[in-house]
Amino acid sequence: MLTLFAVLQEHAETAEGGLPATFQVNPGLIIWTWVVFLSLFWLLRKYAFPPIVRLTEEREKKIGKQLQEAEKANAEAQAALAEHRKLLEGSKVEAQALLSEAKTLAQKEREQLLDKTRDDQKDLLDRAKREIAAERDRAVTELRKEAVDLSLAAAAKLIQERLDSDQDRKIVEGYLETLESDRA
Amino acid sequence: MIQEPAPQAAEEHGVDIGELLLHHTADAYELDFEPLFTAHWDPHLLEFHVGPMLINLTPTKHVVFMVLAAVLVFLTMYLAGRALERQRAGERAPRGLANAIEGIALWVRKDIAIDNIGLDGAKFAPYIMSVFFFILYCNLLGLVPWGASPTGNLAVTAALAILSLVIIEVSGMLKLGFRGYMRTIFPTVPGIEGGGAAVLSVALGPIEFLGKLVKPFALAVRLFGNMTAGHFVILALFGMIFLFGNLGVFSWAIGVGSAALVLAIMLLELIVAFVQAYVFTLITAVLIGVMQHEH
Repeated sequence: MLTLFAVLQEHAETAEGGLPATFQVNPGLIIWTWVVFLSLFWLLRKYAFPPIVRLTEEREKKIGKQLQEAEKANAEAQAALAEHRKLLEGSKVEAQALLSEAKTLAQKEREQLLDKTRDDQKDLLDRAKREIAAERDRAVTELRKEAVDLSLAAAAKLIQERLDSDQDRKIVEGYLETLESDRA
Repeated sequence: MIQEPAPQAAEEHGVDIGELLLHHTADAYELDFEPLFTAHWDPHLLEFHVGPMLINLTPTKHVVFMVLAAVLVFLTMYLAGRALERQRAGERAPRGLANAIEGIALWVRKDIAIDNIGLDGAKFAPYIMSVFFFILYCNLLGLVPWGASPTGNLAVTAALAILSLVIIEVSGMLKLGFRGYMRTIFPTVPGIEGGGAAVLSVALGPIEFLGKLVKPFALAVRLFGNMTAGHFVILALFGMIFLFGNLGVFSWAIGVGSAALVLAIMLLELIVAFVQAYVFTLITAVLIGVMQHEH
C-alpha cells in the first residue's frame, strides 16, 4: 500500500504541468475518503440502519407469522371439513346398511311365518285325513261285525228252519262276500 | 473531444473554455460560491512525510463536499429511522419520505446485497448500503449549483475501490480459509492432472492475481469517468455561450439553445448519478458473492 502511494505521488509530481489537475491523484484525498466513509459507515451502522432494517425485519417476520398462522388455520378448517364430510358419508352408509338389514330381516320373518303357516295347515289337513281314515276303518269293522251278527242271526233263523243243508251255508257266505266286495 | 480554443481567441473573449472545464472539474484548495463568497486557504496546512513520500492532508474542495455528502446521508438515514420507529410505535403503516428512504435502503439491502452475495448477504448489507448512498449523494452534489461531486475525483473513487478490494479479498480469505483462498489465485483446472495441472496453476497465477486488481480498478475508473464526463459535457455546452456570445443578433438564440441542452444533459446526469451508484455497489456485491461461493 505504501509503495502504491509512493508511485502515485511520484506520478503526481512528474505530471505537474503535464496531466491536467482533473486527472491527478492526491494521496491525501484517498486517506480523507477512507476517514469520511468509514466514519459514515460506522455511524450509519450504529445509529441509522438498525431501526430501518430491524423494524422492517420485525414487520416482515410478523406478517410472515400471521400468514403462516392463517395458512395453518385454513389447513385445519379444511381438515375439519373433510372429516365432517367423511362422517356424513359414513352415517349415510350406515343408515343405508341399517335399512337394508331391516328389510332383509322383515323379509326373512315373513317367509318364516308363511312357511310355518303352510306347515300348520298341512299338519291339520293330514291329521284330519288320518282321523277320517281311522273313523272309516272303524265304521267298516263295526259294520262288518254287525253284518256278521246279522248274518249269524239270519243264519240261526235259517238253521232253526233247516240246519242240515251245507248248500245254504254256502249261499250265506257267498252273499256276505258280495256284500264285502260291494263295499270295498 | 474538447477542442481548446486558439490562444488568441481566448484573449479576445477573455475566457478559455478548456481552462474553465478543467478548473471546474479539478480539486482545489478553495471554495467558490461566487457571488456570495469565496474562500482560499493555504495548500500546505497539513503535510506529512511518510518515508519517501509526501502526504498532503489539507482539506480540499472535494473533502468539504464529501463531508457534506456524508452528513446528509447520515441525517437522511437517521431521521428516516426515527420517523419509522415513531410510526411503527403507533402501529401505523409506514408513509411519507421515511417510507421512500426505507424502500430504497431495503431495495439496496435485498436486491443488491442479499441477492448477489447469498446467505451471508445480510452481513455485508450495511457496507453495501453505505457505499450506495455515499456515492449517490456525492454524485448528486455535483448537480447542485456551486456544488462539486467528490466522485469526479480519481483519488476518491480509487479509495472506495481499494476499500471494496480489501473487503472482497479479506471476506473471501475468511470464508474459504488460506488453502481455499490460494486456490482462487492458483486454480485447479478440471480435467488435467499431475504435472500439467501444477504448471497450469502456476501459469494462471499472475492472470488471476491481475484479475483481482483489475476489477476494482475498473470500478474506480468507471465511476470517475462517468461523473467527470457529465460535468465536461455540461460545462462545454455552457462554454458555447461564451464562444458564440458575440454573434450579435443571434446571441440570445445561442443562450437559449445552450440552456435547453444543458437542462437535458442535467436530467440525463440525474439518471447517471443513480445508475453509477447502483453499478458500483452491484459489482462490489457480485464480486463479494463470487468470492464467497468459490470452490
